[in-house]
Amino acid sequence: MRRLDRGALALTLALSVLAVVWLLPIVWVVVTSLKVTEDIVKLPPEWIPWPVTGDHYHEVLFSSSRTARIGRAFGNSLVIALGTVAVVVATSALAAYPLARMRFPGRDLVFALLVGSLMIPNAVVLVPQYVLVQRLGWLSTYQGLIVPEAATTFAFGVFLLRQFFRTMPGELEDAARMDGASAWQVFTRVVLPLSQPVLAALAIFAFRSAWNDFLWPLIAVNKPDMFPLPVALALLRSAYSAESYGPIMAGAALSALPLLVVFVVANRRIVEGVRLSGLKG
Amino acid sequence: MGSGRHRRRQAATAYLFLAPGLLLFAVFRVYPLLEGLQLSFTNARLGRASFQYVGLANYARLLEDSRFHVSLVNTALYTVASTLPILAVPLALALALNRGRLRTLLRSVFFFPFTLSVVTVGLAWLWLLDPVVGPFNYYLKSLGVPVRSWLADPQTAMAAIIVTTVWWVTGYYLVIYLAGLQDIPRDLYEAAALDGAGGWRAFWSITLPLLRPVMLFVVVTHVIGSFQLFGQVFVLTLGGPGDATRTVVQHLYEAAFQNFFQFGAASAMAWVLFAIILVFSVLQFRLLRGHTEY
Repeated sequence: MRRLDRGALALTLALSVLAVVWLLPIVWVVVTSLKVTEDIVKLPPEWIPWPVTGDHYHEVLFSSSRTARIGRAFGNSLVIALGTVAVVVATSALAAYPLARMRFPGRDLVFALLVGSLMIPNAVVLVPQYVLVQRLGWLSTYQGLIVPEAATTFAFGVFLLRQFFRTMPGELEDAARMDGASAWQVFTRVVLPLSQPVLAALAIFAFRSAWNDFLWPLIAVNKPDMFPLPVALALLRSAYSAESYGPIMAGAALSALPLLVVFVVANRRIVEGVRLSGLKG
Repeated sequence: MGSGRHRRRQAATAYLFLAPGLLLFAVFRVYPLLEGLQLSFTNARLGRASFQYVGLANYARLLEDSRFHVSLVNTALYTVASTLPILAVPLALALALNRGRLRTLLRSVFFFPFTLSVVTVGLAWLWLLDPVVGPFNYYLKSLGVPVRSWLADPQTAMAAIIVTTVWWVTGYYLVIYLAGLQDIPRDLYEAAALDGAGGWRAFWSITLPLLRPVMLFVVVTHVIGSFQLFGQVFVLTLGGPGDATRTVVQHLYEAAFQNFFQFGAASAMAWVLFAIILVFSVLQFRLLRGHTEY
């Protein structure tokens, strides 16, 4: 018993050291973003930003004339990510409910198609999706980013929610139906309130993929004012010379912020969502 | 009860619920997939109103496109070389986390990079690995290790991209492995311990076989993602030095949106990629499934 504990302790210690090392790249980004420009390229590397400055944040948020402002891109990304979350959660929940709880012709076929589509690599539909969005006049618009993004996550959402709906005890739904509730009322008043944890997990999953997506917005947006963060950041990198790491790292740190907040607040939901995503294998 | 009518009503209700999602799915998933296949047999270009069918010409041209071949080889090399660390690193961490303390905190730390976008990850590593003023080379030098310009050296650029990617996605697979480990019944280990099979024996004869389905998921997911490698390359190397880290999706992206806007040719590349991914996925299912019974 004693020896086992000591082994576990040594393991924890080793893992803690590794965890600190694991975080160093992020720490380095944040430290750099807070340094005055002359200190950034100093060797040996200084891990404490002193004197500390917020100038780089100010520059990328408000006064960079060299490229799309990160502040604007931050707002774009928020709109796109929240819009995607809304569409994904609504359509997936609506579709998953009958697939889990109703009997109707074509049910298994629909579900098989959706699950099969999880294997489609996004890169394969890149060009035709561009053609479609262009035909709709949606290039460089929010809907041109939100709708294809939501369509990509929809099948996974259905899969995740159907799994959950199936494990819910049916008594409450039956009771509501006895009281004369319609299918719609059962869904909105009984099923959805009971599903909040899994809906939250899906919302976070959808937010993460929309917030971080890079390739699709890179081609679907050609107005700097409409760039989401990853695209604006990638272009910021080429707009600054190699030595201007300050503003670039400030932008990178800002881009990590929303998910860091979500992550701290809803750690367990995220892990749950990822765990469930593994079930699709 | 009039069950025929009841059944029809339920079907109608079901499809009403399904309608918005299926519409989204049909228009933005299924239709583009099929249209891509169609485009691959045409000479369509961006901005050109009409196009002709050219049969298999786009596919035939890919056979002679040496840069496409280089991209394919690079992508395949990346996929093969990154699979082992992607299987092993998160598994080792999961096993260690499962035995030690502070599980939730440490899991969160390792998971955190996965919440970042590929661009943020790329920028962080670009800076870390800066050959002149980056901290990585500084510390290596002070340890007496010979340094180089990792991302600008054809010998090491792909390795640097793999390291970056492993750092980025390890947390995701770690969580999957931890869930898999928790699903293994404890009494199996207790029984093994009674038979005198602890430690490595238990790992080889219980943990690893029972994790097989989880590992299958990890490999299949990783391989599908790897064949689409793009973001890391775009930020870290732009496919360079030379074409040392050029990938299929980058080649496709440039053909369709940068150089000549050849939608037909790019669609042919996309379908070749799709076919390769399908073949690999089926192979992996065949190889790794088989022995899951115990």
